[in-house]
Amino acid sequence: MALIDQVILFVVDLLALFAVYLIISTGLNMQQGITGIPNFGILFAVAGGAYITGGLSTRLAVILLGIQTNLDPISENIAVLQLVNPILRSQPPTAVVLLILFLMIGGMAGALMGLISSAPAVRLREDYLAITLLAFGEILNVVGIGYKPLIGGPIGVNVPDIFGWAGSYRFYLATLVLLLVAIAIYAFAGYIIKTPFGRTLKAIRDNEIVARSLGKNITQYRTSVILFGSLLCGMAGSLWVLYSGAVTPTYARFDWTFLPWLMILLGGIGSNRGVLVGSLTFVTLNKLIIYYKFEFVGILPFDIVWLNYLLLGIITILILIYRPEGIVQEKWTDPKQNLGAADKPT
Amino acid sequence: MGKLLQVKDVKKSFGNLRALDGVTLNVEEKTVTILIGPNGSGKTTLINVITGFQKPDEGHIHYGSTEITSWSPQQIYRTGIARTFQIPSMFGKLPVLENLLVAEKNNPGESFRKSLLKKLWAKHERDAIEKASRILQLLGLSEQRNTLASRLSGGQMKLVEIGRALMSDANLYLLDEPVSGVNPTLAHEIFARIIGLREQFGITFFIVEHRLDIALKYVDYVNAMASGRLIADGTPEQVINDPKVIEAYLGA
Repeated sequence: MALIDQVILFVVDLLALFAVYLIISTGLNMQQGITGIPNFGILFAVAGGAYITGGLSTRLAVILLGIQTNLDPISENIAVLQLVNPILRSQPPTAVVLLILFLMIGGMAGALMGLISSAPAVRLREDYLAITLLAFGEILNVVGIGYKPLIGGPIGVNVPDIFGWAGSYRFYLATLVLLLVAIAIYAFAGYIIKTPFGRTLKAIRDNEIVARSLGKNITQYRTSVILFGSLLCGMAGSLWVLYSGAVTPTYARFDWTFLPWLMILLGGIGSNRGVLVGSLTFVTLNKLIIYYKFEFVGILPFDIVWLNYLLLGIITILILIYRPEGIVQEKWTDPKQNLGAADKPT
Repeated sequence: MGKLLQVKDVKKSFGNLRALDGVTLNVEEKTVTILIGPNGSGKTTLINVITGFQKPDEGHIHYGSTEITSWSPQQIYRTGIARTFQIPSMFGKLPVLENLLVAEKNNPGESFRKSLLKKLWAKHERDAIEKASRILQLLGLSEQRNTLASRLSGGQMKLVEIGRALMSDANLYLLDEPVSGVNPTLAHEIFARIIGLREQFGITFFIVEHRLDIALKYVDYVNAMASGRLIADGTPEQVINDPKVIEAYLGA
């Protein structure tokens, strides 16, 4: 393959991964950066969206396409998809419906996971909240591996090829769709932060006691934000599965908890624009390290499998020491400007 | 004129420490009352108990005809009672203007669903910004409007505390040392404004204050506390000449 083709492939795949992480980081920033909720359990929501998409999408495709079969969509997954995919490729509208459906279902699964993991903890503060959320993140993987009917156990399952109707442009279409969804979500979060609702979240973050004394229902706000952030993580999980074409119960804490935290840390806690910077930087760095780490076999005194963990860990420590507030400052607009044309005196 | 706030025999202990040892006092509507007492007499604890930050071990508190003894701080605020904190507590990463805007009640934009449609909250927000701007001007903080609250001086933070309370359109203000750290000229101005608000809107003030040199000429009544109890109440002349009060401040 010509070099230029290799580069294009690398970039297009990178952009898809960036889109997924942008969504997750946006959700995490709303929780930690804006509201001060240290959610270390976003893995739970991401995996929730991923698993429900993996577990149900084949079954739902069979129903939507009206395919008659006795085969089980999970245990005989490959056989079923051999029936599904050719028909799906010739019916773009059904593919679009499936995409939208699973964005919603994945989002709701994520939100449910977020609710479950936050319910015991939302009245707790800081450390205790963080630990509880972290613990929940581990549960789904254990269930995914052990309970075969969910997503086929350790091997996982494939999902219907919903981008297949674009033929040779499948790859580009998939990335484009992911980017569009990610940008829409990012813009939405930016809007929410500038509303009185967003301002109240920041107030709760900065001084919970005073916020309480001003009549704000702290628990209700926290729950709303955890739900919203988890919904986004579930959507991201779902999108990633549909993009990759398959799901396996190997959603690692490194990829889906540590990395997003690193992204919002670098970007600047609280800054929505920083989320963009942080996500792009670390998706690129991580991918480059993984791509090129085999070049270092024999040169480095340790197993290069751990290279990205090591390098990114060092970078995290450096950021925390030298620039804990991140690269991009928390943005602020005058509330008067923010009102804009929505209310002109008559 | 009725009793707006009635505190009946309120007791509060922290372990072995009796912070409030049966406090009974009444605040008349549309009056300005100050609460004095040596350090450790329980003044801030009393404010905390009235405003729901602490639950009393015994006793009752009434606001008008409603019992508010075990209400949460949120309920207290919504019912028309505002308080300030002795140690100024800001929303550090928010600018001064937004610190005030958080105090605004019933802004539709604060609900997630309503925030989605700007039309539903734009007018209320605009009015709130006007009100906050006027309050900032009154307190001499207009230039600090866009300054992050964490960058203010201690005295300026005190003023933001007052400004936040004023945003609430409350009927009863419980201010905890509102002018400590504020220069005397401004302190006088603030007290003059407090009187003005009482005259114009019939607002009631209950103020913990040490700076008798400034406050005394503005107040209707003085309540004096010592060791968790009310030891005197009446007009300023009566109280500062009361031998029990003199002993509490100077005696061993």
